[in-house]
Amino acid sequence: MSTQDDTNINVADGVDHQVAMVMDLNKCIGCQTCTIACKDLWTEGGGTDYMYWNNVETKPGEGYPRGWEESGGGWTDDGSERVAGEIPSREDYGRPWEFNHSEIMYEGSDEPLRPREGAEWGPNWDEDQGAGEYPNSYYFYLPRICNHCTHPSCVEACPRQALYKREEDGIVLVDQERCRGYRYCVEGCPYKKVYYNTVSKKSEKCIFCYPRLEGEGPDGETYAPACAEECPPQLRLVGFLDDEDGPIYKLVEEYEVALPLHPEFRTQPNVYYIPPYAPGQHTEDGESVDVDRIPRGYLRELFGDGVDQALNTIERERQRARQGDDSELMELLQHKNPAKQYRLGVFDDD
Amino acid sequence: MTNRRARALLVAALVGALVVSATVAVPSADARPAHEIPVSTMPEADLSTPSAPDWSRVPAADVPLASAPSGVPNAGDTSIDRVHVQAARSGEQFHVRLQWSDPTRNVTAGSPRAFPDAAAIQFPVDTSSRPPIAMGGRDNRVNVWYWAGNGATQELLAGGAGSTTTFQSPTVDANATYTNGTWTVVYTRDVTGASENRTTLDDDDRLDVAVAVWNGGNGERAGRKAVSEWHYFPTGEGAEGAPYQTLLWTVAGVAIVAVIGVTAFGVLRTHGGDGGGS
Repeated sequence: MSTQDDTNINVADGVDHQVAMVMDLNKCIGCQTCTIACKDLWTEGGGTDYMYWNNVETKPGEGYPRGWEESGGGWTDDGSERVAGEIPSREDYGRPWEFNHSEIMYEGSDEPLRPREGAEWGPNWDEDQGAGEYPNSYYFYLPRICNHCTHPSCVEACPRQALYKREEDGIVLVDQERCRGYRYCVEGCPYKKVYYNTVSKKSEKCIFCYPRLEGEGPDGETYAPACAEECPPQLRLVGFLDDEDGPIYKLVEEYEVALPLHPEFRTQPNVYYIPPYAPGQHTEDGESVDVDRIPRGYLRELFGDGVDQALNTIERERQRARQGDDSELMELLQHKNPAKQYRLGVFDDD
Repeated sequence: MTNRRARALLVAALVGALVVSATVAVPSADARPAHEIPVSTMPEADLSTPSAPDWSRVPAADVPLASAPSGVPNAGDTSIDRVHVQAARSGEQFHVRLQWSDPTRNVTAGSPRAFPDAAAIQFPVDTSSRPPIAMGGRDNRVNVWYWAGNGATQELLAGGAGSTTTFQSPTVDANATYTNGTWTVVYTRDVTGASENRTTLDDDDRLDVAVAVWNGGNGERAGRKAVSEWHYFPTGEGAEGAPYQTLLWTVAGVAIVAVIGVTAFGVLRTHGGDGGGS
């Protein structure tokens, strides 16, 4: 890694700037609009039916693909060697179900509409299930895209250098000309965000909607990734990690309230999360008690030890705002965000 | 001539005959150099399919395989340890048949964990020197004929591990069958099909060749493969055997006959002297 001259942010060797995204988990309603926006744009072709470059899963939960957090990949603790990983099975991703449409529509059957068979798992099978006991059960949604890591183990895993980080913005891409479908990237990514196209026999992944960033659309305008723009509660900020005037830099580096998912994988993700801030537990009589609803230990498992300080900072700033004081952090986390939600053109003149 | 003398001459003659017959008979069979794979010339034969009967007339070499040194995970975990290799020229076509035992038939790459069985033959692009065995080198590239169980036949060019590039229009055809736990694959290319970056098959007396086999059911792909060392096809004019080998055996045979002759002569003289003095 190298430190850029004009910033104290570490970006990968040979990369000028690093795109980044912050997702505020307190705003996610699990509507999957981001998932569908992405799918409509990028994964509707043959061989991509099972892929969700953007997915939203319920935590605690198995996630998509099932059990991805235990599937290996990433780096050892000192970051020097890769950890062996597994390719998820087709069942772990979830197979499309066959429904009894023809019986109901054409054959006069009065049975309810339902999958014919094999409906035993799929993305979001465990949606809203969560954990805990009533009245203190809990869950939250976790939207996930490729983290466009600073130290990407998928890039290192490819024996053909078919995966690479773009020089201008650190977006991780699969060169479809070089890929031969070996799938070492699929097993090497600890987030399981590289997918194998079963028709083209090559690997594919989230491209951070780079053609939108580059204004390749019909109107020539620059847009943030579709998952961010289409989000009804607008929970995503998009920009560059090394843009010191942008909200992402402030949230990640200054306030340290936006955290990478599973930092122990050591890939240095560039998607960051504002951890969920749930109300405290209730007694059976409905009295509030000062006990975390979402166990702090579970949040540490997901977001690392920084989660304690992050939640403390958010609580402190909330109190300030409640008392009528100015809080830049609270403004950054609201839609009246003065630093702009999407800052994509800041380095265009470089 | 005494009985003893006659017996000694008979022994010498027998030994001499043995040596001469061995010299003539051996080179086409077991005494083949360890890394030579014979090439038959059969102008009228039909060898384009794996089960063509004419293949029974083509001698086979049993080529040992070992895990290729590679940086990919589990590179040492490969499962195919030998492959039978046959090669023949029929008319203007050059055929190579590979046969190996694989108890699982893997013919699809159509799901995330599915890898097809595959095999490849590697030749130097420049046949005058031997490239690095692992996919050649930057200055010494290799031309690879690749077949995979999902129907993919490719012709490749490589100049080192990870540099494999596909020819847009392959000139190699491959046909395969799987019976009784054995894959049989026949590669066919026109002898005159050489072009830029494509190996000339009849340029030199020897054509270096190496083989790789992947067991898809064992997750083998890329550098995780069972490979041979460099072998060679004797492709020159004296294609039936290595000329130097016949020469060596002839020299050795003559030397042995001479030694036996001198010994017998000495024995005879000694015995003759004794007899004369008695």
